[in-house]
Amino acid sequence: MTLIRVEHVDKSFASRHGSISIMQDISFEVKDSDFVAIVGPSGCGKSTLLRLIQGLDHPTAGTISFRDQKIDTVCPQMAMVFQSFALYPWLTVAQNVAFGLEALGWAPERIESQVERYISVTGLDGFQEAYPRELSGGMRQRVGLARALAVEPAVLLMDEPFSALDPLTAESLREEVLQLWRDPQLPPDAVLLVSHNIEEAIQLADRVVVLSRRPGHILAQVEVDLPRPRDRKSSAFYDLTDRVYSLITEGGSAMASKTRPEGAPSAG
Amino acid sequence: MPTTFPKCNPTEMMGLLVLLNSHKGSEDVALLADDLDLEIDEIFPALEFAEVLQLVKVADGRATFTDLGKKLVGGSIRDRKAIIRDQLRKTTLFKTLLRALESAPEHTLSDEDLGQIVSLTTAPADEAVQNIVNWGRYADLFRYDADEHRLVLTRRSPAARAGPGQSRPPSSPGNSEGGSPSGAKAAPPAPSSTELRTSIVATATS
Repeated sequence: MTLIRVEHVDKSFASRHGSISIMQDISFEVKDSDFVAIVGPSGCGKSTLLRLIQGLDHPTAGTISFRDQKIDTVCPQMAMVFQSFALYPWLTVAQNVAFGLEALGWAPERIESQVERYISVTGLDGFQEAYPRELSGGMRQRVGLARALAVEPAVLLMDEPFSALDPLTAESLREEVLQLWRDPQLPPDAVLLVSHNIEEAIQLADRVVVLSRRPGHILAQVEVDLPRPRDRKSSAFYDLTDRVYSLITEGGSAMASKTRPEGAPSAG
Repeated sequence: MPTTFPKCNPTEMMGLLVLLNSHKGSEDVALLADDLDLEIDEIFPALEFAEVLQLVKVADGRATFTDLGKKLVGGSIRDRKAIIRDQLRKTTLFKTLLRALESAPEHTLSDEDLGQIVSLTTAPADEAVQNIVNWGRYADLFRYDADEHRLVLTRRSPAARAGPGQSRPPSSPGNSEGGSPSGAKAAPPAPSSTELRTSIVATATS
């Protein structure tokens, strides 16, 4: 079943020098139990695309729908994990996890049991009363994860969630996200990950959407059919990495030579 | 079990185990580091901690899972935590800490008590203390109240049953810090630091 459908999406921003096109004609789908990664060079609009999908911003043209419903406001079936963790420093771990549920107007007893559940599944027991400043980066990102999962989203959106972490910590959390995604008892049903790290995308995802340089358009959707855990040193892994890398470098420069005049597409 | 605790947090150690698992459970240490574009010494603390917890064995520059380590990576996030809890409990430092918490008034230790106990087995730096508190919290053996600056025993921690007390001669009464141990009727009184030192030496040499 298709959860997210992105159809012919353009996004441009107005500036003093006219309209600047961020992405053009983006179309792809995220189905139930998909793990999809979006990769591309900096500035290709990866993070903007996630914001559009969650309904935090609107496309200039094209449509985005969730379960065939057009998204025009923040979609409660999706939750985001951020690179910067985005925790409230004055709240404890438990209060941070409860935050989204309070915003949804849940009853206090229901919030309490939900918070307990998601603190436990993300490995945060024992840290309920801790403040973010007391935690390592890895534990902070678990709080970000617990907070996102506590609303039981169908789709977990992740914006460079491992980029601010040291390599060992990132390795651990990547594997835990896979565990959560694969567990049928737990949300999410699908994950949409944005990363500038091609290896990370291939290590995690079933499908990698490759974006070009700005204005971002889709160069290819690469299927990753390798058993997990994936060996980054295997030749099959290397071939896929190489293919995506070539797509980005070649696709980017080819595009640069025939960049459309800025300010072309506009809905208004 | 050795009592040197390298500076490393639980998530980092788990990262190393996940990495080793993607190398089929046994790999040259240099190649493991290379896989994450790290220098070899950057993975040592995680590797050493995994050795302390008897999850990995290192011989001839090659790291290999123990049976327990294999079991751990095959488990869920919660199962892993339970294994780490059991393994930490076997270390001298955590035995000592849990015994102190069991016997302390209201099962609570101040920062000062805590620093003293940790300094008996590792370098007495704030970092070392934080590191140990972090592991104990991760394994849900105790919690730390940052507002009150105190370490508190987690309710379900059955340190009294599984604790080190039984195998040792009974400690002398009295000398518990902070007045009468109202919440510790059945528990032994708080050991003095000399006693702790003795018990650590006893365990370390046994």
